[in-house]
Amino acid sequence: MATNQISRPVEDSIAKVNDEVAVGEDLDFQRKWWRFENAAWVVFTLIIILDLSGLFGRGPIASAERRSADGVFDVKYERIERTDSPSILTVQFAQSAIQNGKIQLYVSNSLIKQLGTQRVIPAPQDTVVGEGGLTYTFPASRSPASVDLALQPSGPGIYDFTIGVVGSPPVQAKVVVVP
Amino acid sequence: MSTIIHAVFGYLFLLLIVRVLSRRPGGQLTLFEFVIVFLIGGVIILSTVGKDRSVTNCVTAILTVGLMHWMVSGIKGKFPRLGAVVDGTPLTLLKNGEWQLEVMKGMRIDREDVMAAARTKGVTSIYDVAYAILERNGAISIIKNEK
Repeated sequence: MATNQISRPVEDSIAKVNDEVAVGEDLDFQRKWWRFENAAWVVFTLIIILDLSGLFGRGPIASAERRSADGVFDVKYERIERTDSPSILTVQFAQSAIQNGKIQLYVSNSLIKQLGTQRVIPAPQDTVVGEGGLTYTFPASRSPASVDLALQPSGPGIYDFTIGVVGSPPVQAKVVVVP
Repeated sequence: MSTIIHAVFGYLFLLLIVRVLSRRPGGQLTLFEFVIVFLIGGVIILSTVGKDRSVTNCVTAILTVGLMHWMVSGIKGKFPRLGAVVDGTPLTLLKNGEWQLEVMKGMRIDREDVMAAARTKGVTSIYDVAYAILERNGAISIIKNEK
């Protein structure tokens, strides 16, 4: 019949210094740890430098601008976004984008859902659903004119979006959302 | 789900940062270090609970961190090498009347730190110290010379 072991004899298993003081020192391990620590600080510094450069969003590398093939509009956006962090996508229109006192702007569903469009500034006069997205209509007078989309992505991933003025070639772009 | 993942990541990241920040001679936090610990904790909790500030979410986060700590403590007991990674090992700062300069430099410990620990043991001269040992909790143990 097995019995539970509730005690055992004392063992002198701790490594000793000078065969005298039981310390349990492991200098070989410590030297390896110091090398690891030094490498960790290099990595931490690198992360901060990359962050300042915008590799993780909100910096020079993250800012992007695309112009439509016919120059009717251009889009300023962040090619690297952060989850749950707000950002602004701005569409600037040339005079040729204004037809009959209106601008019709198409945005794909990915811009609404995955990239989390919270608000459209100014509010559109009319919104039409279809063609895998939304088409907003804004009353407009003369250029320069612009529309802002307030984005707030809800989850990390790589998302393509399409944006364009009706009657003009659209702009397609990719956004990386980091956690 | 995301709260649990964030809490696990936050625990492991905090463990790494605290471990890499090295042991504090004397084993006590200065006021400034106290502020740093609160600051890091505050920043990590932001991403852990996110926008969901419900009691359920906060309880889940706390339970996850508690479970992680319980598991790490249990694994440390079974695998001494992991214990060395998480807590470090004791290190000898002074032996045979000689400073162990490699260890002192590596741990950023001055002779004054050792002498301060010696004084708390009533030792007034460094020549009366046989061994000075930096413990895993950052305290410095002093073993006196037997005259």
